[in-house]
Order: sequence, then structure tokens, then C-alpha cells
Amino acid sequence: MRLRQTLVLLLLGAYTLFAAGPFVWVAMMSVRTTTEISRNHYAWPEQWHWHKFADAWFGSGYQVYFTNSTLVVCSAVALLTLVGAMAAYALARYRFRANRTIYFILFSTIIFPPQITVIALFQILVQYGLYNSLIGLTLVYVAIQLPLTIYLLETFFQRIPGELFDAARIDGYGELEVFWKIALPIALPALSTTVILNTILLWNEFLYAVVLITDESSRTLPLGIQRFMGDQQQDTGMIATGLMIAIVPVVLIYVFFSEKLIKGMTAGAMK
Amino acid sequence: MHEARALRTPWRAVTLFLLPALTLYVAFTAYPVVKTLWNSLHVVLPNRHEFVGLANFVELAKDDIFWRAVRNTLIWACTSPLFEVSIALVLALALYAKVPGARFFRIAWFTPVLMSYVVVGIIWAWIYNYDWGAVNVALRWLGLQDWARPWLGTPATALPALILVTSWMWAGFNMVVLLAALHSLPSEVIEAAELDNCGWWGKLVHVIVPLTKGTLLNLLVLSFIGKMKIFDLVWITTKGGPLWSTETVSTYVYKRAFEWSTFDLGYPSTIASVWFAIVIASVLLLSWLLRQREKLEF
Repeated sequence: MRLRQTLVLLLLGAYTLFAAGPFVWVAMMSVRTTTEISRNHYAWPEQWHWHKFADAWFGSGYQVYFTNSTLVVCSAVALLTLVGAMAAYALARYRFRANRTIYFILFSTIIFPPQITVIALFQILVQYGLYNSLIGLTLVYVAIQLPLTIYLLETFFQRIPGELFDAARIDGYGELEVFWKIALPIALPALSTTVILNTILLWNEFLYAVVLITDESSRTLPLGIQRFMGDQQQDTGMIATGLMIAIVPVVLIYVFFSEKLIKGMTAGAMK
Repeated sequence: MHEARALRTPWRAVTLFLLPALTLYVAFTAYPVVKTLWNSLHVVLPNRHEFVGLANFVELAKDDIFWRAVRNTLIWACTSPLFEVSIALVLALALYAKVPGARFFRIAWFTPVLMSYVVVGIIWAWIYNYDWGAVNVALRWLGLQDWARPWLGTPATALPALILVTSWMWAGFNMVVLLAALHSLPSEVIEAAELDNCGWWGKLVHVIVPLTKGTLLNLLVLSFIGKMKIFDLVWITTKGGPLWSTETVSTYVYKRAFEWSTFDLGYPSTIASVWFAIVIASVLLLSWLLRQREKLEF
């Protein structure tokens, strides 16, 4: 029995190495110089070159990419949460004829392959002068995450007993006040789940960004990394530093909100 | 309660709540979909367009690269879910059996899915590097020099190598979902199986798989949809090469629209429309076949 348990643990350890090893490897390379790396790709850092992060940040444009990503993701998520919560609340709480039709259309959109919109979005944004603009990208990001957000929040609002809202209305609250002062505060746990989920998904988004952004000054992090990778193919050390800059915010979110995040991602998955 | 709710619909409030979302949806999703379908019947050049009827579709039917891309994407979408979900099931069972350090394992296994495909793509391009990538280093260390090769640069191995990457990335995620499903099972059932002494394989096949069937099927469908869309990973690592061996429908659409200097957006829209129909049809078919749905709670 003890032998079997040791064997199982050994296998799980091996799988852990396989799953998390690449991340640890990149983290180590991010503080080593390319010369050190090319001597031995798998050595522990002899000297921790933290200045490489400053070099990438100021010298290789990562400051711009990071700022752009932060701007786009924060404004998209804020807008998405507000607009999504309003729509989800209306769909969950009021009965009207088109209700289920709207819900069904939004719900089916979740499985659409992105190609069906991306070419036309390129044309439309060019036409309205929103091509190569962070505002255009933000609006597109809101639109692509909207169906999933509404779906998740609608499920949550459905489960709040209607008496609660009716009581508030009898107390003289208007429809807007009921939403703002009762529904939103109650929905806070669900809202934070969608906020975390959307933040990560949009932080990592690549396809829409690569089609809708070409200006150096408007690049988001995934585009910046791709660009840097193309230009400095041989500079393994600096590429690794850039990768870490992109990963660290996500890892921080994971460290602080791992339960919420896992819940959000699985809930998003189970649609 | 229902009477009070159904009493009168406050139309002004409903409109106010729904309008922003619907406006965004119409402008950035519904309209683009319609426009793409319209494009598919036209030649669309930067400053003019021309109706060509079904000519694009006829051309598509004869386009060998497209069929190659369809084949690659389908291979990907049909194999990767099986790997991911079966690895995930084994891992979830290990954690369910309360091995020591379960919390640490769960967190470590989940990490790959947090990284973007761009990051993952670069890391794995390094891992598959011919000279110093971990795979070839390990093979040489084991004395299997002949097996070492540029994994992403060889047509025969490039696609399997990338499929492995997606399985690596998603196994931990599926594991977490399955673990939640296992924990929601009544423990008596599993204990009863334990008492019946039917061996771990029997327990797996006769008890655990049937009980978590809903979740398993859901995960398979979800993973299938994800792989039908795959773009970023391929674009970062191989751009569809070598010799179209990793070309997917998504990368081909992108190439035809923005890389090849044909400047025609009609033909790529045709590919997108056909693929759209195929994805919708196969998802409908799959969920009709599998039927069962389970909602995961917050």
C-alpha cells in the first residue's frame, strides 16, 4: 500500500513538473542574460538581473504595450460589467414577449467562431475611423464578451427571490433605484466573478487585436510580444522578460483570487 | 408574487436596461455577421465590390489548402478533447482520493490555462527547439539522438506537437471542473462501490464515469468548440507551416484576408461563413447526441 502511494505521488510530481515546469523555466530565464542562457538553458540564475525588467519596460516598448493593455482591459471590463448587469437584470426580472428570444439569441452567440465577425469588423472600424484606435478595440471587446457575461449574470439574478424587489418597490423605490441599490449590491459576488474572468480573457486576447491594431503606439501586450519576438528572434533572455511582464498581472490575480477565478472560469465553461 | 411581477411591464425601465447591450450587440456582432454573409457573395476590394453569386463557394470547393485546413482543424478538435478530458479525469480522481499536497497540485496544474496562447506558443516553440529545447535535450540524454528533430519544423510532427500543447494547457482546467463534479456526488455511492470491492478500474467504468457523464460530455463539447476556433497558438508558432501541415481554418481565413495581397475580403468571408455553418451544425449535432446539460453553480 505504501509502495503504491509513493508511486502515485511520484507520477503526480512528474505531471506537476510537466504542467508548471515551463513557467518556472521562463521565470528563471527572465532574470538571466541571453549570453548566460546560451551557455546553459536550464541553469539556475547565478546573478539575478532584475534590471532586465527595467530595460524591457523603458527600452523595448513594453511600457506602451502594458499601458495600452491596461487601458483597454479596464475600460472594457467596466463597461461590460455595467451594460451586462443591466441587460441580465432586465432579462431575469421582467416578463415581456421578446424576453426569451433575446436571451436565446445572445446565448447562441457564445459559440460563434470569431471569423464570422472579424473581417466585417475590420471594414466597419475602418469606415468609422475606429481602426487602429484603442476605443474601437475596447468596444469590440465589450461586444465579444457581452453574451457570456449576460448569461452568467442572468443565471444569478434569476435565483434572487422576486419578493425582495417587489418589497423595495412598495417602499417607494423606482425601477432604477431597485437595480442600483438592491440588485447590484446583492450581485456583487457574481459580478466580481465575471470581472475576473473577463479581465483574464481580454488580457490574453490576440485575434481581434492583431486584425484591428497595426500602429506601434496602439499595440496591446500580446501584439507587442509577437512584434518583439519577430524582431529579436535570438534574444531569448529579453523575450522571456517580456513574457513575464505579460504573465505577472494574471499570476497576481490568481494568487489573490484563485478560488473566485477558478469558479469564474469553470462557470464560464459550463455555460 | 408572480401576479405582482406580471402585473405590468415597466417598458421604460426595460428599454433603458436593455438598450446599451442591444446597441453594442447589433453594431459589433449582428451587423458584422450579416455583413460577412453578404461579403461571401461578392468580390470585396478596398474601393469597390461586385456581386459574384456563388462563385466564391465554387472556388472554395476546389481549394485544396482549405480542405487541408479543415482536415487539420477537425483532427485537432476530435483528438485534443479526448486527451484533455481523460488526463483531467485521472488527475481529478487522484485529488479526490485526497493525496497529500492536493491543494498545491490543484493550483500548480491550473496555471497553464492562465497564460495567453501567445505566451504559451513562444514557450513551447522553445521547448521544441532543435538545439536546446527540453524535448530534444531529454531525448539526447536518454541516448535517443536519432529521435531528436525540429518538432515544429517537420511536417509529420508539427500538428501532433501543437495538439499536445493544447492538451497541456487545458488538462488542469478540465480537472478542476471534474473535481467539482466529483465533490458534488453523494459520497455513499462511491463508498458502496468501495465495499463491493470491484477494483479501481471497475469503479471508474461502472460508477464514476456514469455519474459524471453530464460534466464529461459538457467538457468534451466545450473543448471541441475551442479547438474549432484555434488561431493564436498556430499563428505564433508555425503560421500554418511547414507545408500547410498545421494550417487551420482560422489561420487560413486570416491569411486570405490580410496576408495574401489579393485585397479581396469576399473570398475569406466565404470561408468564414461556411465554417460558421459547420461549427453551428456540429455543436447542434453534438448537443443533440449528448443531450444532457448540467449547469455549474456559482
